[in-house]
Amino acid sequence: MKKYLVLLLFITTSGFAQENKKFEKAMEKNLTLLKDAKTGDDYTNAANAFERIAKAETKEWLPSYYEAFALILSANDVSDAAKKDAVLDKAMEVAKAAEAISPDNSEIVTLQSWITSMKISVDPMNRGQKLGMEASVLTSRAIELDPENPRPYLLQGTGLFYTPEQFGGGKDKAQKVLEKAVEKFNSFKPKNKLMPNWGKERAMSLLEECKK
Amino acid sequence: MRPILNLFSLLILFPVISFCQTTISGRITDAKNQPVAGANVTIKDSYDGASADANGAYKFSTSDEGDVIIVASMVGFTSAEKRLHLSGGEVVVNFNLKEASNELNTVTITAGVFEASDEKKMVILSPLDIVTTASAVGDIYGALQTLPGAQPTQEQEGLFVRGGDASEAKTLIDGMLVANPYFSSVPDVPQRGRFSPFLFKGTNFSTGGYSAQYGQAMSSVLVLESEDLPPRSMGNIALMTVGGGGGYTKRWENTSLGANATYINLTPYFAMNKQNRDWDAPPQSFSGSLVFRQKTSETGMLKAFMNYQYSDLSLNYPNIDDVTNNSKMHFGLNNYNIFSMLSYKEVLDKKWTLNLAGSYSKDLSRVRPSPQSLVFSNQLWQARGSVSHTLGELSVIRAGAEVQYNPFSNLYNNHRLDSTELYSAVFLEGDAYITRKLVARAGLRVENSYLLRASNIAPRLSVAYKLGKYDQLNFAYGDFYQTPDRNYLIQTNLDHFEKATHYILNYQYVDEKRTFRIEGYYKLYQNLVRTSNPVSNPYQPVLAEDSKGKGYARGVDVFWRDKKTLKYTDYWISYSYIDAKRSTLYYYSEELQPTFTSNHIVNVVWKRWFPKLRSSFGFTYAYASGRPYFNPNKVDESNILSDRTRDYHNLSITANYLTTIYKYFTVVSLTVGNVAGFDNVFTYNYSSDGLRRNAIGPTSKRTIFLGVFINIGRDDDTE
Repeated sequence: MKKYLVLLLFITTSGFAQENKKFEKAMEKNLTLLKDAKTGDDYTNAANAFERIAKAETKEWLPSYYEAFALILSANDVSDAAKKDAVLDKAMEVAKAAEAISPDNSEIVTLQSWITSMKISVDPMNRGQKLGMEASVLTSRAIELDPENPRPYLLQGTGLFYTPEQFGGGKDKAQKVLEKAVEKFNSFKPKNKLMPNWGKERAMSLLEECKK
Repeated sequence: MRPILNLFSLLILFPVISFCQTTISGRITDAKNQPVAGANVTIKDSYDGASADANGAYKFSTSDEGDVIIVASMVGFTSAEKRLHLSGGEVVVNFNLKEASNELNTVTITAGVFEASDEKKMVILSPLDIVTTASAVGDIYGALQTLPGAQPTQEQEGLFVRGGDASEAKTLIDGMLVANPYFSSVPDVPQRGRFSPFLFKGTNFSTGGYSAQYGQAMSSVLVLESEDLPPRSMGNIALMTVGGGGGYTKRWENTSLGANATYINLTPYFAMNKQNRDWDAPPQSFSGSLVFRQKTSETGMLKAFMNYQYSDLSLNYPNIDDVTNNSKMHFGLNNYNIFSMLSYKEVLDKKWTLNLAGSYSKDLSRVRPSPQSLVFSNQLWQARGSVSHTLGELSVIRAGAEVQYNPFSNLYNNHRLDSTELYSAVFLEGDAYITRKLVARAGLRVENSYLLRASNIAPRLSVAYKLGKYDQLNFAYGDFYQTPDRNYLIQTNLDHFEKATHYILNYQYVDEKRTFRIEGYYKLYQNLVRTSNPVSNPYQPVLAEDSKGKGYARGVDVFWRDKKTLKYTDYWISYSYIDAKRSTLYYYSEELQPTFTSNHIVNVVWKRWFPKLRSSFGFTYAYASGRPYFNPNKVDESNILSDRTRDYHNLSITANYLTTIYKYFTVVSLTVGNVAGFDNVFTYNYSSDGLRRNAIGPTSKRTIFLGVFINIGRDDDTE
């Protein structure tokens, strides 16, 4: 009897384990796809893959997070302004869906700030002031939610690097923030291998640019 | 037992082993059979799926079995689903996706409309354009005068649109009528608008044929939409050659509260810039405003706005009848104005939108033209409610009602005349999208005026057809009624609404770089108020005789804007041709060209950004052909109002320099009006015997404005 009980226990828990393993495996596979992506099409592929997982796993925020992440990177390759806007709007929609599942999440708010900054590039003259403010408000919030998260600092530093001095930006300001970002990247430990862990190389290379 | 158990456990432990794999493949195309690359094809509730490649082809395998749903989706398209039964082998499923509705493939109503909005892409203007247009100096109405259809006037305030006078153009904020949008009238001195353009996120300037939602304006409505929640707390300081002010807005999670105050005094400016008027006490004004916003839900917003202004001035006019040139006529004015409103908007159920608004405003002017004294008082209570419902993907139906309660009184020395108007209206309108390329807006507005003891029913129709990706054709027709000026109603029994019937046809091309627009219109006026004398002064009582005036206005407006061809340069050119006549003088049956209309108007607005200098430079050139003026020596049917002033020219330049003061973002702005020093004449004032006259031109040959605007609370929290 005991043997059957153990068997029964094994069956049911392995059922769960099967589910978790399936999710983990799919996420890992697609994270590799994301890491290896180079062209806009590659990023779209990755975004689609994460979207499929997201639609099936409505209680997980990570698939939507990475879908939005991949969409942002795919937008870089889009030249048509209206299409770029549409892709970024979808990225924001997806990021908001992730937020609904996991509110007050520093990583998701960081992504929202990034999307807002990218939207400026579609029409800088008209959107610069308003969206610039919105993006920096979101970055501040992301820092508030998790002071150890290095990614909002990377965003802030990137923004300052590309903003002219007269508007309050410049290399000196960017350098200060990026140094802090790299410091935090060095001490940051993601909770598990699926959690966001990107940006360190970018922060370091941008910091080098500042020092020139 | 053992072998059976083993087999049994095998089956239980590995229930997922299925030997049934189905390969699904196919092509995703759009309505034109072009491939939709990057489309996402997936089995609902499963991870299985694939992306369509550059040819729109996809392929993937799944071990799912039985009845499933396959979904194909792509940004910018409506998702499509198909049912499928999986039982192994290969299946081909193709999808044809339909483009989602967007600004490039869906037609919009544009006849008689100039919209400035950040939220839409295919608009002709942006709110920033209004703020940065040279001649404007931050005055909304100054900027609108550079658009086709608007007449440049510099001796009186107001928008004169397509042969209509200033009373035919109304200003609305969030649906509420602004009874006194300009500072009080001063004879021969133009006044600015009361509100800063920074308060508004959307500006919709209509030159005719506008929606049934609005009424009481025979020529034009300016519909302003106020800003929502500011992104964060911020302050601003303004230091100008004419005065200064500042304000601060605090932002909480879902609430914001802001206060602003400005003090203007033109004394130092007049000392530096010679004036063509004999000022006694140069204009000074004080204004304060409060802005409150509360987000009531994800889609709901409550807005409250209150604006208080006090202004006073006095000047002397030459008494043209005094041959020895000794005496002067003194004119003094002080004005109190308060405008307050409350509005609420909510989206219910995704398809229903509710808008409620109420306002109270009061305007009190004390005028001292010697030897009389006049007091004008005007109060307005308004309430408005409207509902709109989306049918299907794009079509909309709107209905609403509004009420205005307007007590007003005029005190001429000790003689008081007062009255109260109660105006009510209901409207019903629908936008029917017959296809994505063809839309028809049909509406009906019913109005009632207590003072006229009359009602009217006004049909409105607008049809737009999209010819291609960027261009469209639009036709509009409508009846536009307006209650006669209350100063006439107070003295004479009139019982007709003034009426204008509009016919408009336009062709418009708008892409990311250029805009071309040509619009032809014909307005038929009926039941216009006829007066015994031509009106020359807003404070001079003129008697209305009857409502038998008629008239017409017809013309063509052309607009061309180019934002990309020349590097960092944005320019627009507008040309208007107007042929307008009306019979509003009681003793003349002939229709005559009104004094506020020029036959030809040209506007050139040019702005260039110099990134290395962090500056922008711009100029505005305005030309208007001579306007008719009243000459008391010509009062026969054959020659009345036949004189024309000389042509009007005005070249203004502006420069803006962006910098930081103590890390706060700052703009330094300089504008010089009429830099070329043209001698413009708008009309003539004649002596009573008609033998002498004074030319009335602008208040000074040139105008100079210098201002420093500091924005506080920028991104300085970079620890």
